[in-house]
Amino acid sequence: MGLLRYTVYRFLQAIPVLIGITIITFLLANLAPGDPVRLMLAGQEVDEELIETIEQRYGLDRPLYERYVTYMAGLIQGDFGHSIHRNRPVTDLMLNRVGPTLLLVLSAYAFALVTAIPLGILAATRRNEPTDHVSRIVALIGVSTPSFWIGIMLILVFAVQLGWLPSTGLVYPWRGPDGYDWIETWPELIYQTIRHLLLPMVALGTLQMATLMRVERTQMIESLQGEYVKLARAYGVPERTILRKHAFQVAQLPIITIVGLNLSTALGGAVLIETVFNINGMGRLFIEAIQQLDYQLIMGITIVIATMFVIGVIITDIAYAYVDPRVTYGEGE
Amino acid sequence: MVRNSVHATRRRILATGAAVSAAAFAGCIGGNGEEQEATGDILDPEEYDYDREEPDDEDAARESTLVYTQELERDEDFDTVVSNDAYSVQVANLVFDSLYEFDYEYELQPKVAVDFPEVERDDTRYLYEIHEGIEFHNGDELTASDVAHSFTAPVEEETPNISTYDMIEEVEVIDDYQLQVDLEHPYGPWEMFNQGVSIVPEDVRTDDPEAFNEDPVGSGPFEFTDFEYGEYVELERFDDYWDEPQPYVQHIRFEDNVDDASRVSEILAGDTDAIGDVPNDDWETLEDEEDIRVHVAESPSVAYIYFNCNEGAGTADPNVRRGIAHAFSATDYVETYLNNAAMPLVTPTSRITNELWDFPLEEWEELYPDYDPDLAEELLDEHAPDDWNPTFLAPDDERATLAERVATRLDEIGYDMQVQTMDFGAMLDQTIYSDGDPDDYEAYIVGWTGGPDPDQYLYPNFHESQESVNQGHFYEGSDDFHDNIVAARESADHDEREALYTDVIEEILEELPALPVFTEHNSMATGEHIKDVHVHPQMQYNPNLVHDGANVWVDDE
Repeated sequence: MGLLRYTVYRFLQAIPVLIGITIITFLLANLAPGDPVRLMLAGQEVDEELIETIEQRYGLDRPLYERYVTYMAGLIQGDFGHSIHRNRPVTDLMLNRVGPTLLLVLSAYAFALVTAIPLGILAATRRNEPTDHVSRIVALIGVSTPSFWIGIMLILVFAVQLGWLPSTGLVYPWRGPDGYDWIETWPELIYQTIRHLLLPMVALGTLQMATLMRVERTQMIESLQGEYVKLARAYGVPERTILRKHAFQVAQLPIITIVGLNLSTALGGAVLIETVFNINGMGRLFIEAIQQLDYQLIMGITIVIATMFVIGVIITDIAYAYVDPRVTYGEGE
Repeated sequence: MVRNSVHATRRRILATGAAVSAAAFAGCIGGNGEEQEATGDILDPEEYDYDREEPDDEDAARESTLVYTQELERDEDFDTVVSNDAYSVQVANLVFDSLYEFDYEYELQPKVAVDFPEVERDDTRYLYEIHEGIEFHNGDELTASDVAHSFTAPVEEETPNISTYDMIEEVEVIDDYQLQVDLEHPYGPWEMFNQGVSIVPEDVRTDDPEAFNEDPVGSGPFEFTDFEYGEYVELERFDDYWDEPQPYVQHIRFEDNVDDASRVSEILAGDTDAIGDVPNDDWETLEDEEDIRVHVAESPSVAYIYFNCNEGAGTADPNVRRGIAHAFSATDYVETYLNNAAMPLVTPTSRITNELWDFPLEEWEELYPDYDPDLAEELLDEHAPDDWNPTFLAPDDERATLAERVATRLDEIGYDMQVQTMDFGAMLDQTIYSDGDPDDYEAYIVGWTGGPDPDQYLYPNFHESQESVNQGHFYEGSDDFHDNIVAARESADHDEREALYTDVIEEILEELPALPVFTEHNSMATGEHIKDVHVHPQMQYNPNLVHDGANVWVDDE
C-alpha cells in the first residue's frame, strides 16, 4: 500500500470515529443539566413566554433527534451552526480563536522538543553523573507541577517583579504591523510576538519537555546499550558519530508517538494557560461554551479538536516510516 | 496609558523572591477546604470615597488615554435595545446618552430629558421634553422619535429586555422634542428605574440592526472607533459632545481578563491602567502598592439563601428555616471570606435601595435572626423532622464556602446537612427551574442584582408568578403577600408602595422563605496616575469616565 492510499485509508477510518464523537458530544451537551436560554437570561426578570420565544428561535423546542439530524445536515455542508449565547456563526467564532491556540501549542511543542531532546541525550550520555541527576530532578518537577501554577510563577517573576515580559495577551504575527497601532515594522512585530509568547510557551511546554526528556533519556540509554552500538564502538567509530547516526535515530520512535498522542494533553493544558495569560484561544472559548451550555459551540469546538487529534495521530503514523525504514504501510498483508 | 518598565532593580529582585515564596507557600497550604478563622475587619466603602481631583493642565489632561480591563468577557452586544450583558453595556453607556441617568446616590437625574416628566392620567401617562440640538455621532439630530423607538423596540422585537418596557401601552411623538408615554397601568419602578432608557438613533439602527450592534452610533461622550471581536473595543472622545462636563479622556481601550490572579498581575505589572472587580484576597496587596489605588462602592446586589418551602421539605416549617438562620453568623462569614468585597445584609433589598426609602430599618434589624446556636438547636430539636438530612446546593464558587459554613455550624449542633456544589447552570436547573423536589434540595444560594426600587428584588424573587422562572423557594405566603407585591408594583404612589413593601419585607424576615446574607460591592483598581476615579453603584456605569461627579484623566507627569 502506498503512502497516498494509506493516508486516504486512515482518513476514511477517521470518519466513523468523528461521527461517533458528534453523537456522544451532542447527547452529553444536550442532556447535561441546565438550559442555555434560562442561563443566558439568569439574573433578570423574565417570563416563560420570552424563554419559549428564544428557544423557538434556536430550534431548542424540537425533539433531540431532529436537532441532531438538522445539525449534521448543516455540518456536511460546512455549517457548524449558530452560537446561542453569542448570536454568531460558530465557524466565525472558531476561526477567530484557532490561530492563538495553534500558535501557543505549536510554540510550546517547539520549546519542548528543542530543550528536551538535547537534555535527554546529555542525561543519557552522562548517566548517574550530576548532569543526569539535575536533569532528572528538573524533569520530575516539570511532570509534577501544574502548568497553570508554573504560569502564575512566571508572571510573578518576569512580569510583575522584574517587568521584563508582558503578563498577559499575545501579539499575532498574521495581523501584520498594521493590525497594531503601537507596532510599526515587521521586525518589531516579530519581537513583540516572541516577547508575549515566551511565558505562556514555557508554561505550557514544560510538561511536554519533562515528559519527552524522560523518554529521550531512557531510549538513548537503551540505544547506547544496543548490540549495534557495541559493534560500532568495537570498530572504533567515534562516539559522536555513534550518538548521531546509530543511537539517536532509533531512540526517536517513542518520541514521535508521545508527540502525537500528547496533542490532546497540550490542547487541554492550553485551556488553563489561555486563562492564566488571558489569551483569546479555543480553550477559553470551549470553557465559556460549556459554562453557557452553548450547544452548537460545544459541538463545533469538540469536532475541530477531535479532527486535529485524529490528524495528529495519522501524521504520527506516517512519520514512523520516515524515521524507521522497517515500518511499512501494510505491503504484503 | 499603560507604562512598560523593564528595569530590574535590586528591590524588585528581592521582592520577586519574597513574592514567589509567598505564592508557593500559599499554593501549598491553600484550598484545603478547612474552616478558616475570621481574619479582617469588614471594609467600609465610605472610607474609599475619594475627593474630586482636578488637573493643573487641562490641555494635557485632554490627551489622556487609558486601558481598562473588565472582569468578565463581553458578549459584544452593544445595542442597548438587545443587550442584556452588563459588560457590553459598560461600553455602551459611554457611547449612548440616556433619557435620565443615575447619580452617585443612585437616583435618576434628567440627561437628554429637560426635566422630570409631567405625569397625567392617574400616573399612567408621562410627558417628556428633551433638549434641542443634541447630535448623534453621525451628525443626525436626536429627536423624540428616537426616544420613542428606544422605549418600544425591546417589546416589538421581543429582545431579552422586553420585561423592562412591556408595561408600555403606547408611545406618541408629539413633536421633535416632546413625547408621551402611556402605560397600561401605573408602574411603580417606572420613575426610579425604567425611564432611564438609553437612546439609540432609530434610522441607523433599523437600517441594519446587526451592523448597529457591533458599530453603534450614539450621542454620548465617546464614539465607537475600533472593535475586534472577543479582543478589545476602542472609543474616542466625541469632541462635539453637547453636554457638560466635556470628558478629559481622549481614548479608552476595553479589554477583558476573567482570571482574578491574572487580572491582578496585569495591573501589578503595569500592563493595564485599571481593572474591574478587585478579588477579596488581593485587596490588601493592591492597596499596599504605592502606584495603585483601590476603589469601591456599594452595589444593589443581594446574596440570598433560599429555602425550599414545598411540602415534604424540613424547611417548609418556618421554625426550621429560622433555626438554620440562627445557626451561623453572616457577619463572621463575611469577615472570613469577603471582608473586602461585601457587607452583611439584614434586608431582602440592598442597603443602597433602603437608603432611598424610608423603611423601618432598625425594626428589621431586630427581626433578622442573629447568630444564636442555642436557639438554633432548640428550634431544630423541636421542629425539624426526624432523621432530617437536608441538601444545600451552591454554585462552585465562593458561595460554596457559605454553604459549607452553614453545614459546619449545623453539624456542631448535631444536624447533618449535605452540601452539593455544582456548575451554576446545573444548579439553576436543579433549583429555580425545577418543581422544588425536597429530595433535591432544601436550600440553595444565589445572588441577585436589583436596583433603586424594591420591586426589582421582591417581584422576581418572591412573587408566586416567578416560581420556576426566577425563584425556587415556592413560598405560599400569607393571604395578601403576593397581592401586596403586585399592588406595590402597579402603584405610583410612593407612600402607598412604601407601606406595602414594609409589610412584604417584614413577612419575609419573619417567615424567611429566603435569608438575605450579604451585599457585594463594585470595586476597581487603577494606577495612581489615573485621577478622579469614582466607582458608581450601578456597575454598568463603570468605568464612569465623565459625569457630574467625576471626570477621569491621566496624570502622565
